[in-house]
Amino acid sequence: MKGMHGIIFSYGEKPALGQLTACRVHGSLPFGGDYRVVDFVLSNMVNAGITDVGVIMHGKCQSMLDHLGTGKSWDLSRKSGGLKLLPAFAYGESRGVVGPFRGKMEALGSVVEYLRHIRQDHVVLSDSDLVTNIPLRDVLDAHMASGADMTCVCTSRPGSAGDTYFKLDAAGRIVDTAYDIRIPVGYQSLNIFLLSRELLLSLVEECMAHDRYSFRHNVLQEKDGTLHLNGYVWDGFAARINSVQDYYRYSMALLRPEIRAGLFCPQRPVYAKENDAASTYIDPDGECVNSLVSDGCDIQGSIRNCILFRGVKIEKGAHVEDSILFKDTVVRTGAALRCVIADKNVEFSHDVHMAGHANYPLVVEKNTKL
Amino acid sequence: MKKECIAMLLAGGQGSRLHVLTGDMAKPAVPFGGKFRIIDFPLSNCANSGIDTVGVLTQYRPLELNNYIGNGQPWELDRANGGVHVLPPYQSATGADWYKGTANAIYQNIGFIDLYDPDYVAVLSGDHIYKMDYSEMLRCHKAAGAACTISVMEVPWDEASRFGIMSVDSQDTITEFAEKPKEPKSNLASMGIYIFTWSKLRAYLIADEAKENSSNDFGKDIIPAMLAAGEKLVAYRFEGYWKDVGTLDSLWDANMDMLTPGSGLNLLDERWPIHGRTAICPPTYVGELADIGNSAVARGCEILGEVKNTVLSTGCHVGRGASVTYSVVMPGAIIEDGAVVSYAIVGENCRIGCRAAVGAPPETAADPGQWGIAVLGPRTCVADGETVPPKTMLDKTHGKEAAQ
Repeated sequence: MKGMHGIIFSYGEKPALGQLTACRVHGSLPFGGDYRVVDFVLSNMVNAGITDVGVIMHGKCQSMLDHLGTGKSWDLSRKSGGLKLLPAFAYGESRGVVGPFRGKMEALGSVVEYLRHIRQDHVVLSDSDLVTNIPLRDVLDAHMASGADMTCVCTSRPGSAGDTYFKLDAAGRIVDTAYDIRIPVGYQSLNIFLLSRELLLSLVEECMAHDRYSFRHNVLQEKDGTLHLNGYVWDGFAARINSVQDYYRYSMALLRPEIRAGLFCPQRPVYAKENDAASTYIDPDGECVNSLVSDGCDIQGSIRNCILFRGVKIEKGAHVEDSILFKDTVVRTGAALRCVIADKNVEFSHDVHMAGHANYPLVVEKNTKL
Repeated sequence: MKKECIAMLLAGGQGSRLHVLTGDMAKPAVPFGGKFRIIDFPLSNCANSGIDTVGVLTQYRPLELNNYIGNGQPWELDRANGGVHVLPPYQSATGADWYKGTANAIYQNIGFIDLYDPDYVAVLSGDHIYKMDYSEMLRCHKAAGAACTISVMEVPWDEASRFGIMSVDSQDTITEFAEKPKEPKSNLASMGIYIFTWSKLRAYLIADEAKENSSNDFGKDIIPAMLAAGEKLVAYRFEGYWKDVGTLDSLWDANMDMLTPGSGLNLLDERWPIHGRTAICPPTYVGELADIGNSAVARGCEILGEVKNTVLSTGCHVGRGASVTYSVVMPGAIIEDGAVVSYAIVGENCRIGCRAAVGAPPETAADPGQWGIAVLGPRTCVADGETVPPKTMLDKTHGKEAAQ
């Protein structure tokens, strides 16, 4: 059938995220006051009319499993198709491999039976660490119009050295792919790839047969002569979250109206797991300035340049600046925070003072009582 | 599939005393408390009390309500057996009738109730704000072996004549019932929440339907008939927050109670959560020059001006230099730069133009008798610089319809 099928990769370690991913994969990292990072990828797919999505999982997937549930929140709880969770429980055993996937092709190989049953003509592959709001329908249109074998979404904005970079010719064809380069040049890959189901299957089967596992090496680099790989340049807000610094910088960018207007554009809403928290209450003595605030907070103290997730409590006389407080954080009277990222359910006791730096925010681990 | 107890929720009323707010929707669909609608309270009470089968009786303007209830998933009432069912009046071989009264609405759905063969039926109103454990009330009903248990609360004596008043003996068995008595003998007021033993209620509904002059109403007909026949009716004393939000003033009051510590209405209390259908929108942004105090703010808002003593619902905009005080602002309302809103109820998706003024504080009124809150019905558009005086009511036909 016409249309696209979504595949999301949810595995892997990002050591630079430190404590933030101590108990979760990066896709289930809370972001923007109400979301998990993976919500953006899922919403992009749903907003493009995608009804079937497979999530390939490995590693610390408990919080991701919890979050995704039946897929109801994204309207992906369907009689046929819908959201399918694809944990790699049996894969390692069957191949005698230990540890995480070595690359995307290996991850796809682990679910090759699933791929064979995809109903749609096209498949869009995406990482789960990307916060953006991209019209994937337009990517499909461009893919069809270009006649390319595969379309790779990329941005002219620079990323870090470890990212993948494309060199495009005047027609938008990818003529070179490079990674781990000292000074990045060209277009940074956003790791969204669109191709036909047939091509995907043949690539996966070929790689499996030769024990090749790397998408960027064994496909993007080795096939750019035989396959027509096209770049789709997306210069809207796109945050690939690789480190605590990335996380902090991109979170704080949400306080800028033009960033919010792009990321939360009403034509393509971002769906999140629904919650029943009542409205946030702001006390007569509370002060709340230049901040993004979710539901169910109780603000009696002062917050400035902050992002508050659900159910955060700021007591009278507490001061919080330039900080990100996850769900159910409590800041007691007299406490003062600056450039802090507090994971879920952290409590800052009376008169605790903590400060990081905008270039080096302080992360406080989940459930810590200070 | 047999159930011990099911609930029937009366949600058909127009709520004409809410005037312009209920032009296009039934009263239970009116937004409340920023994130909720009135019907979320009884539906959540059912879910929290373990009642998994609810019939919602609709009649007046049901579209908004049907749409909101959907499959009942927000209240965990999307069940394989039972769940929430919307029950409008229907046509049958012998004719077609609107619901003539509250009792007639249940009478017409005897077939629905019999499907579940319940021992007990709770009859609830769709226009009250309260948190109540019906399972506790059912336990008392069973222990007393009553035919009917009526939830009551003590009201101030000077207000008792506005309610249905119960006189009880030492065992809280009801000895007398008087609808809005001039000289009340008791201050126990009916909250309009009943649990009936279904076999009893079924018989009285059929008998009442056969009476020619009956108004087919629970308070006026069924309860007096049961008392007269010597059935055992028991009062169940409720202590806690309860408010009938059938009037504009009480709707405004109940919203303000959310902002008043000690009022008893604390929606942040998670022990008895109120569930609702959540709008898809990002967290609220509060701007550099915003000044917010003693207010409840739902998500999806953009607040650049002053918001004091106000309930601001999902997806509202308060522009630069705008001021909103002592008001209830319903979802999607836009208050442009420099507008002043005070002591007002602003309906869904209204647009209040730049520097417009809606409502005014009571102390500014020349004649306090003429003062009242200003009310804008859904999608009302107030032009730039226009003044809407206190106690005024406008609906969407005023000016042009606000752009969605």
